[in-house]
Amino acid sequence: MVSESSARRYALRDPDVRLMLQVRDGSAVAFEELMQRYQGRLVTVLQHLVGSRDQAEDLAQEVFLRVYRARARYVPGAKFSTWLFTIANNAASNALRTLSRRREVSLRVRESGPMGASPMDAVIQASSGQIPARQLDKAEARDIVRMALAELNDRQRMAVLLNKFEGMSYADIAQTMELTPQAIKSLLSRARGNLREVLEPYFQHGDRPAKKNNLH
Amino acid sequence: MSHDSANASPDLIEQQLVAYLDGELDAEGSHRVEELLAADPTVRQRLQRLERTWEMLDQLERSAVDEKFTRSTLEMLTVAAEEEVDQLQSEMPRRRRRWLIASGSLLAAGLAGFLVVALALPDPNRQLLEDLPVLENLDQYRHVDDIEFLRELNRENLFVEEPADAP
Repeated sequence: MVSESSARRYALRDPDVRLMLQVRDGSAVAFEELMQRYQGRLVTVLQHLVGSRDQAEDLAQEVFLRVYRARARYVPGAKFSTWLFTIANNAASNALRTLSRRREVSLRVRESGPMGASPMDAVIQASSGQIPARQLDKAEARDIVRMALAELNDRQRMAVLLNKFEGMSYADIAQTMELTPQAIKSLLSRARGNLREVLEPYFQHGDRPAKKNNLH
Repeated sequence: MSHDSANASPDLIEQQLVAYLDGELDAEGSHRVEELLAADPTVRQRLQRLERTWEMLDQLERSAVDEKFTRSTLEMLTVAAEEEVDQLQSEMPRRRRRWLIASGSLLAAGLAGFLVVALALPDPNRQLLEDLPVLENLDQYRHVDDIEFLRELNRENLFVEEPADAP
């Protein structure tokens, strides 16, 4: 339950909260403005979370739909971005659970093949003995970072994305992910430590990184 | 303090280093980390590697969405608004229903119509704002035949307003 003074404070400090209050009061202009401000940001985070642009756009639309449906009972209990990404996190979690079940099935099929279970394994196997230590170009670097991010578990990845792309504080990430700030501190530490280990060979020697087992 | 920090587990040190990089430590916590960094080169190396890894995430692209996405989102919301009206219609008693259908339909239509028009057509208010400087001086501009003459006057600083006389 949000106190009136808290709600007032958020409304005073956050222009996006004020816009959402206008949406609550029936303003289509305010809703359009919020959409313009957040659609790119939402799709960015969701795309790196779920690994698919199409799915990220579907999820972003789902988020806006949920915002629209929740407008009548909106009471500002957080920054607007925190509230919005909480909805996004919930929407994405459902999608990731479904994806994960599908991935388990396809992994069982792929594991029996020559290229191994993980995309990272496939890259390493393809390049081993063929490509000497060299500087990777920008597109390759991006692919490698994407793959390293995909190696994190869903919660670690979400925390990293909110931290990196949204510049959220640990307190805001905690509120978004419904965890404590200490849990977020620990989660981010493990996530970034994992990323460091996976990417280290790249920035030490320009080699394609080796995958560490049991990163989760 | 340094002794405590030095004996901390690697995981705890890593946590503190990451929080330090994120600006999440209080003054005391930051000071402890800085002492550790000053005393232990391996910890400095860990910090540098964490920093470099974090910077590598800048390789990840930020998405821009196109007009098609915005329109399809608005279409979806219009359908949702119409469904709301239908639901209200079925739930409310007959006497209130007529009023509610009218206002609900208005809301849905307003949302759909306004949003579609706002995106499809230029905003007239925006255009007026852009033209305001001209409109404010329209009476004077009516007496001028061509733009080159105005530019010449501007070069001569003839458009600078003279300060009002002191009271």
